Amino acid sequence: MGMLTLGHRRAGMPPAPRDVVGTSPPRPDALAKVTGAARYPGDLSRPGQLHLWAVLAGRPHARILGVDARPALAHPGVVAVLTAADVPRNRFGLIEDDQPVLAEGVVRWVGERVALVAAETREAAATGARLVEVTYEDLPVVADPATALAPGTPLVQPGRPDGNLLTEVRIRRGDAAGALAGAATVLEATFTTTWQEHAFLQPEAGVAWVEDDGRVVVETAGQWAHDDRREVASTLGLPDEQVVIRYAAIGGAFGGREDLTVQPLLALAAWTLRRPVALVWDRTESMLGHPKRHPMSIRARWGVDGDGRIRGVEADLTADAGAYASTSQEVVKAATLLLTGAYRVPNVALHGRAVLTNNVPTGAFRGFGAPQAQFAAESMVARLAEAIGDDPVAFRQRNLYREGDLEPTGRPLPAGVGALATLEACAAEARRRFGIGWDGLGRVPGASSAPRQAGEAVPSAGTDGIARKRPRRGVGIACGIKNLGYSFGFPERATATVELYGRGEVERATVRIGAADVGQGVHLALRQIAADGLRLPLAAVALVADDSAEAPDAGSASASRLTLVAGRAVHDAVAAARAKWPETDDERVEATVTYRPPATTPLDPITGEGTPNYCYGYAAQAVEVEVDPATGVVRVLGVVSAHDVGRAINPRAIEGQVEGGVAQALGYALLEDFRMADGFVLTRTWDDYLLPTALDVPDEIVPLVLETADPNGPFGARGMAELPLVPFLPAVAAAIHDAVGVWLTDQPFTPERVQFALDDSPGTSARVRTPSPATSSDDGS
Amino acid sequence: METTISPPRPVPLQPVVLHVNGSDHPLLLEPRRTLLDALRDDLGLTGTKKVCDMGNCGACTVLVDGRAMYSCLLLAVDCAERRVTTIEGLGGPALDPIQEAFVAADAYQCGFCTPGQIMSLRALLDAHPDPSDAQIARAVTGNLCRCGAYRNILRAGRLAAEIEADRRAQQGGQDGNAPGR
Repeated sequence: MGMLTLGHRRAGMPPAPRDVVGTSPPRPDALAKVTGAARYPGDLSRPGQLHLWAVLAGRPHARILGVDARPALAHPGVVAVLTAADVPRNRFGLIEDDQPVLAEGVVRWVGERVALVAAETREAAATGARLVEVTYEDLPVVADPATALAPGTPLVQPGRPDGNLLTEVRIRRGDAAGALAGAATVLEATFTTTWQEHAFLQPEAGVAWVEDDGRVVVETAGQWAHDDRREVASTLGLPDEQVVIRYAAIGGAFGGREDLTVQPLLALAAWTLRRPVALVWDRTESMLGHPKRHPMSIRARWGVDGDGRIRGVEADLTADAGAYASTSQEVVKAATLLLTGAYRVPNVALHGRAVLTNNVPTGAFRGFGAPQAQFAAESMVARLAEAIGDDPVAFRQRNLYREGDLEPTGRPLPAGVGALATLEACAAEARRRFGIGWDGLGRVPGASSAPRQAGEAVPSAGTDGIARKRPRRGVGIACGIKNLGYSFGFPERATATVELYGRGEVERATVRIGAADVGQGVHLALRQIAADGLRLPLAAVALVADDSAEAPDAGSASASRLTLVAGRAVHDAVAAARAKWPETDDERVEATVTYRPPATTPLDPITGEGTPNYCYGYAAQAVEVEVDPATGVVRVLGVVSAHDVGRAINPRAIEGQVEGGVAQALGYALLEDFRMADGFVLTRTWDDYLLPTALDVPDEIVPLVLETADPNGPFGARGMAELPLVPFLPAVAAAIHDAVGVWLTDQPFTPERVQFALDDSPGTSARVRTPSPATSSDDGS
Repeated sequence: METTISPPRPVPLQPVVLHVNGSDHPLLLEPRRTLLDALRDDLGLTGTKKVCDMGNCGACTVLVDGRAMYSCLLLAVDCAERRVTTIEGLGGPALDPIQEAFVAADAYQCGFCTPGQIMSLRALLDAHPDPSDAQIARAVTGNLCRCGAYRNILRAGRLAAEIEADRRAQQGGQDGNAPGR
């Protein structure tokens, strides 16, 4: 299935002779990847290396009474056991350095690292780790974010100013309470989501050693080599330049490699023991050891006028931050901002909190708060449309953001608002593909949503077991918005160096930029941008990206930002180098450019006013499902995924991001049920944590690409890699409702939940029921 | 309050000859060593990936006597007398048609699951040179791809079958054996 491109080239931008932007050359790492020659962190070794094994707490909250390393040290092959006392500066963290490298006096979650064993063999290290005798006194466990703020609850991190409240966000505009009191229709519901595990296939791993010049080299995987360097250097009390982070091939990331895990352990051991060291986590250590997507509980009240315009929204969000901050503050800000989705709402009162618990820490995962927030927002929009007898597309068309609209923070949206265009493109394509009765401008009057079942009624649950057992199809649609790039005043920039070589004419170039290719293909995209600007064949452009000492800082592979920000830095550095070329007689020129997009601001702590973002991505998805009421199993049959990408630098890579994002979103919606109880992780392996397979992903995934040029991105490109995760969950919820008449509010939509919802649904019917505020509230459940 | 853990008793090593990618490798191994660990750590064949180590993900798939098997669920000492083929044993001067198809169909993103996917498809095409789409999907359903490149993986399977059919046609049916082995 080819990608459909609806857009057009940016006006005034002549195609380059070879037009390397907008084409899809083969990936440069293809040969190494298909022959098994590519080296990932778990494949690395160094001569004379020691093997490391971390002792994990295995309990959610306990005081450490003692660590006795003697039994481990007595085991043949064990060389050293490192503990907190061996760490020069025992704190790290991406936003806030609240996390110890090795636990100091207390453990706050099951995956906390307590000691580090170094041995001559991997087997000896493993045995040594079991022989380290840690004596604990268990402490009361804070496991429920809903009660973590109650007075008298034990503190996860004593000494913090706000107890277990890690962060709180308020965004206010207009008079939400008054607007809801005066609205014609008001709906209220509560939505919950659970953790999502990244499940990248290469577990955390790496090697480290100390060079003769005293530099500590850590070769591993990650998403931001320069920040890994900053954090690792800080734990050792060394200047940044004395630490080198090198990335091997990266076996998946998805946000789960933003936080440090094994890197400071590797660096500590190499630095302390002056031997090369290697560490590979097993799957359970990985399942326990890195932050997950936030579980959230979102309560939302939405009201519309008699003319079908959204008047006001009150929404309240609580996120489980787990034991340490990670990026929770930023995720909760983003999620709170997006509680109204991509809709113009004149009166808002939005409130978000991140709460510390003794659960596994939560942080970045593709979408960064947007999927949870818009599960609630898009479900409310769909239910409001139904409540007032409107078409889900027409209702959205009336209320979606337009160019120049104000955000909840009171400032105009950044230019390039593609909300309506993506919705209309998606709805039109969905109508063609699924026979859905939307005409792109509203539902065809009288048309069933799924014509192949027109006239069929779903009998009441329990009254006709045979009829109920028949699988039923349904179609749902939802929109999505997600910030691209850093938000809320976080410093946003990328630096690129371009070196040109030749005699007379530019013959070849080297681009240096420390951008992580986690499989999304950004290294190829950056080379395409440079080759296009230089009018060189792709093969004449080399890239140096995977060494913090050899390439400047691009910022992280996150927030769908590298094509936009790093791509622009490369684009501008190419231009700067080209400008120098005629003025030199050398056979080499070099230019370095730091690109800084328009500034964002923190939000006012009282009103939430501010400029949160400089760019948004917009998407819409339509999903066709089949629901088997007998088993509760939901199967996704087809997906239309529409994205405004600004400009497709590499169309095939975009198609890959859409298809892969849909697969992850499908897992999130239907399969992936990460569970904890009393601070213990119940889903410790992939026996218990189900991931989508080739048979779960539908044959029909239609990537639909729009190109409304971004004013800042290279060739008009903006990011897109997170967007497929954003509308999917509410689109599936709407499709299930279309099929069997029930609204699901708790992610994931497991067979049990679908069955319970059907059992609980009085007089389930194919007719559209019109909920009233009283009957539609989920608060009692 | 803590139970004391005693170190495991040393286990006598067992001699075994592994036949991997057409060569014999005499090894002295603990009986508990998996084929996966023997391939990666004793033979340095790191193209076979260690991910879950319990048969969930398929990244360690190799051919054992021509069948796709999870090397993490096999003991190395049980693999003596059996022919083992890893990703490093595919192709020669040219790529195996499946490898070629993976490049052409962009059938990976991070690439970590790719060797396992390719080995599963190799076993399929050896047994069924003209597989149905359902057979292709079934062949890789035990190979997780978290990047979600599944549809391109299925396309690659189809494309590989076509490439092999073309090669068979060019050979004029002289050679009834499956190519690439």
